[in-house]
Amino acid sequence: MPSNFKNMALTKIWTGSEHYLCDAELAQAFHMARVLGMPLLIEGEPGTGKTELPIQFSKDNDLELFIFPVGSKSTLEQFVAKFDHVKYLRDSQVEVLNAQREEKSLDPLSTSGRSTEVLDDYVMMGPGAKAFSKPHSVLLIDEIDKAPREFPNDLLFALSHRKFILPESGKVIEVSEEEMPAIVITSNREQELPTAFKGRCIYHYISFPSAQMMLEIMRKHFPDADEEIIEKCIGLFYQLRNLGLERAPSTRELLNWFKYLRTFSKSEALDKISTRDGMGILVKTENDLKRVK
Amino acid sequence: MFESLPQHFRDFGLKADIRTIMLLRKSIAKGLANTLGDLYLVLKGLVTRSPKDYGPFTTAFYKYFLDIDIKHGENLDQAILRSEAFNKWRQKFPGQEDELDKPDMDKLIDQFLNEVHLSSYDIQELVSGKDILNNDDPSMADSDSDSPDALQNLLQKAADYNGISLEELMRRMEEVAKNQERRHSGGQHWIGQGGISPYGNGGAAPGGIRVGGVGGGKMARMVIGNANYYPVDTKVTLQDNNIDVALAFLKGIQDESSEILLDIPATIKEGVKEGGLFLPIQKEKLTQKVQVILLIDNGGWSMTPFIKNVTRLFSKMKRRFAHDLKTYYYHNTIYGGAYSDLKRSKFENIDKILKHHKNYSLFIIGDADMAPYELSQESVRSWKKLEERFPRAVWLNPLDERFWTGSYTINTLREVIPMFPLSPHGIEKAVELMNKKRGFGKG
Repeated sequence: MPSNFKNMALTKIWTGSEHYLCDAELAQAFHMARVLGMPLLIEGEPGTGKTELPIQFSKDNDLELFIFPVGSKSTLEQFVAKFDHVKYLRDSQVEVLNAQREEKSLDPLSTSGRSTEVLDDYVMMGPGAKAFSKPHSVLLIDEIDKAPREFPNDLLFALSHRKFILPESGKVIEVSEEEMPAIVITSNREQELPTAFKGRCIYHYISFPSAQMMLEIMRKHFPDADEEIIEKCIGLFYQLRNLGLERAPSTRELLNWFKYLRTFSKSEALDKISTRDGMGILVKTENDLKRVK
Repeated sequence: MFESLPQHFRDFGLKADIRTIMLLRKSIAKGLANTLGDLYLVLKGLVTRSPKDYGPFTTAFYKYFLDIDIKHGENLDQAILRSEAFNKWRQKFPGQEDELDKPDMDKLIDQFLNEVHLSSYDIQELVSGKDILNNDDPSMADSDSDSPDALQNLLQKAADYNGISLEELMRRMEEVAKNQERRHSGGQHWIGQGGISPYGNGGAAPGGIRVGGVGGGKMARMVIGNANYYPVDTKVTLQDNNIDVALAFLKGIQDESSEILLDIPATIKEGVKEGGLFLPIQKEKLTQKVQVILLIDNGGWSMTPFIKNVTRLFSKMKRRFAHDLKTYYYHNTIYGGAYSDLKRSKFENIDKILKHHKNYSLFIIGDADMAPYELSQESVRSWKKLEERFPRAVWLNPLDERFWTGSYTINTLREVIPMFPLSPHGIEKAVELMNKKRGFGKG
C-alpha cells in the first residue's frame, strides 16, 4: 500500500542523500521528532544547513514540501489560513447588483463559482493548513526567530493538538499522529523563543561542522573538484573563523567562495588563496576586511 | 517509573515535568529508547532548550542513570574515573591489571563512554554496514581478516539486544531509578551488571565493543567531548567562555510599542452586516522594538578587565538592536552627564540622554565602588533621574556579590537602580525584571 510505504519513509532514519550530508546527531533528532510526531526545532549558526534538511528530505523521499518563510510581520493567519474579506465584500455586492441587472434583463456578473453562503470559498489556506491536510508531507517553518513575539505562542495550540480551525468558516483541519507531517522549524537564535514553545518541540542545536566534516560537505557539493584547492580553502576558512571576526564566515560563504575560485585555473586559484584575493565573499564588514588583509 | 526524573533534572536548572515522563514513555513504546545511549539522545531532545542546557543536562544524566557525580570544577573524565560504575565496568578486563605499564586510562574512558552512548542508530548503521560488505564487495571483507570478526561480535550483540523485551528493559530502568533513591547502596547499576546496554545480558565478551573505525560509539567523544556539553558555571563573572551564554540571556529582552490601524476585515464584516454601511473600525497594532542605552564605567584600573568582554557582548547584539544601541562612558559615577566616546572627551549633558524614548532599556555596567565623597548628592540625583525616565534600568556589577554589602557607594546606588552581578545568571535575572516592566505605552 502506498500510504504504508510513505509511513515507512517517514519513520525510518534518514541520514542524508547524495547531495546532502546530514550530521549523525541531527539525523537522530529528526528521526525522533518524526516518530513522536513532534516538530523538530533546529538552532545554530547561519549557513550550517538547517533549512536544507527538510528540503533534501522531501526531495529524497518524494514527499510534498510546504514552506513558511517567517518574517518580522508574520502572523498565524498567514501560516494557517486567511479569510479574504475584500472578495467576500465584492461578491456580496455582486449579489445585490445581479438582482438589479436581472430586472433590466442584463447578464449577471460572475463570482467564479463562489457563493457568499459558503464561507469556505473565501478561505485561503496557508502552508500550515495545506500541510496538515496532506498526510505525510513535510513542513518547513524557516527562521522563526524573526517572527513577532506572539507568533510562536500562537503556534502552540496547533502543534500540541495537531489541528487548525479555519477562520470564519470554522472548518477543522485535523491530522492523525501517524500521518502528521514532518515539521522542521529553524532559528538563528536572534531572539530567544518562549520556553513553553520549545517544550513542544524536539530541540537540536547544530554545532559548526568540524574541518573533517567540512571536507566531506565540500566533496558532496563539488565531487570533481581539486583536493588541494579544497584543503587550502578549508584551511584558510577555519583560520578566518578563529580570528574572532565581527562576523565569522559561514558554510554558505565558503561554498560561494569556492564556486568563484573554480572559474579559474588551478594555479590561479591557489594564487588567489595565498594572496587572499576575493575575500569580499567570505568577509562582510569593513573592519574585518582590514584585519584579514 | 521515572517519577523522580523531572525533579532530578529540575534540580540542575533544566525544564522537566510530567510531560517529560509521558513523552519518554511514548518514546520507549515507539522503540526509540533501547539503550542507555538512546535514552541520552531522547532525553536530550526532550529536556534541553538551548546549547547552554547541554552541560547541565549531561551532568544530570550521568548522575541519574549512572550515579556519576561531576563535582564543581571537575571534568567528566575525572568524575568517571572515581565513580563506582566505571570501576565495576573495568573488572571486565582482568588481563590488563597485570600488565607492567599502567592501563591507558584515556583509552578506557573512551571505551566506557562509547558503551554508555552506544545507540540503536549505531547498531543500525553497523547492520547496514555489514549488508554492504556482503553484497557489494566480498573480496574486501576477505582481505581484512580482523574486521569481519569484530563485526560478527557486534552483530551477535546487536541480535542479543534485539531479543530483549520491552518489559525487561523497563524493569531494568526501574531498578536503576530505585538504586538512585538509596544511593551508595552499592546495588546494581546498569554498568555493574556487566553491560551498559541491555544486550550485555551476561554475554558481553572481554574487550566489549570494538569501536575502531566503524559504528560503535563513535559519537560518544564527539557528543561529550564538545565544550558545549561541559557544564558552564553561570554564576561566574563574564569571561570568554561564558559570553555566549550571557548573550543568550540578553536576547531574551522583550519590547513592544503600539500604533492604531484601520481594521479592514472587521470594517467589511460589520459593514456587510449593516447592509452596506461601512464604519471604520480601528485596532491597535503591536510592533516590536528593542532599544538599548549602555552606560559603561571605563575609568580606573578596576574596570579594565571587564570592558573588553562587555563591549564584545553588546557588539554581538548590534545586529539585533540595529540603530538602537547607544553607548556612553563615565568614570566611577556620573555628574550631570556622560561621554559618548571611549576616551571620554565628548561630554553629553544628562538632559540629552534623558531625551531618549522611555522605552529604552538602560544597562549600567560598573563596579559602583568608589570613595564615598565621590558619590555626591548631585551624582545620586543624576542616577535617580535616569531611573525615573527609564523604568527598565538595571545595573550590572562585575564585582563579586559578596563584596557588595561592604561598600557604602554600592549600597547607595543599588537602592536607586536594581543591581545584578555581571554574570550570565545575573543578566538572566536582570532581563526577567525588565520584561516585567513592559507595555507602558507611548511617551
